[in-house]
Amino acid sequence: MKVVIKQWNAVAAWRWDMPDDDVCGICRNPYDSTCSKCKFPGDECPLLLGECNHSFHMHCIFSWLRQESSQEKCPMCRQPFKSKAQDATGEAPEPDNDSALPT
Amino acid sequence: MQGHLPPGIELIKVDDFQEWLVDLRVLDSNPLYENEVYRLKFTFGKNYPIEAPEVVFAKDATHPIPWHPHIYSNGIICLDLLDNAGWSPVHNVESIAVSLQSMLTGNSKKERPPGDENFVKYNTQRPKDINFLFHDNSV
Repeated sequence: MKVVIKQWNAVAAWRWDMPDDDVCGICRNPYDSTCSKCKFPGDECPLLLGECNHSFHMHCIFSWLRQESSQEKCPMCRQPFKSKAQDATGEAPEPDNDSALPT
Repeated sequence: MQGHLPPGIELIKVDDFQEWLVDLRVLDSNPLYENEVYRLKFTFGKNYPIEAPEVVFAKDATHPIPWHPHIYSNGIICLDLLDNAGWSPVHNVESIAVSLQSMLTGNSKKERPPGDENFVKYNTQRPKDINFLFHDNSV
């Protein structure tokens, strides 16, 4: 028997590679949801992982770090907040070309 | 949030995101606070939780202001985490209430901060605009 597919609809779901029940410590929304200002989750409202391994919605941690009183420290552990070169989406960090250049 | 709050902490008025009332009891048998219920008033700015809420004890017929060397008799609280310098946006109503509860639990002094009378009489500043000096790490 020959089947001719005339039409099909693909449905996909995505989620950040994070523990199920975790929320952003700043806005308390799930990581898979948005920060309190955005409407659509995903690339528009990504997560940012710090070198201290604490993560937040990028917009949440940026609005904190813009405050003078934050002293650019992680709200969780109060170590200086530096974003890990690799973000929470699992993308590879940019190769460090500088070291390969002749001096 | 209601339903899994720690014992001794109860939400009273949570109608909007501007002002919340939360009742606080000290559960350990501390004679200073036995059989009393205190009422906390949280006022949230539009920048909360990036900026700290204003938190004061509110006095009425059934809710006194608890005795503590860091709590003025008008309800203003001197606590580093409520000051811009000590605030972190991962704090929330529950963690603030728990901090205040433990600040009371650990206290045995029936005292007001030095200069309480003058401060209460003349202070016109909002709690967040007062430059507290956090000098005392013992309580």
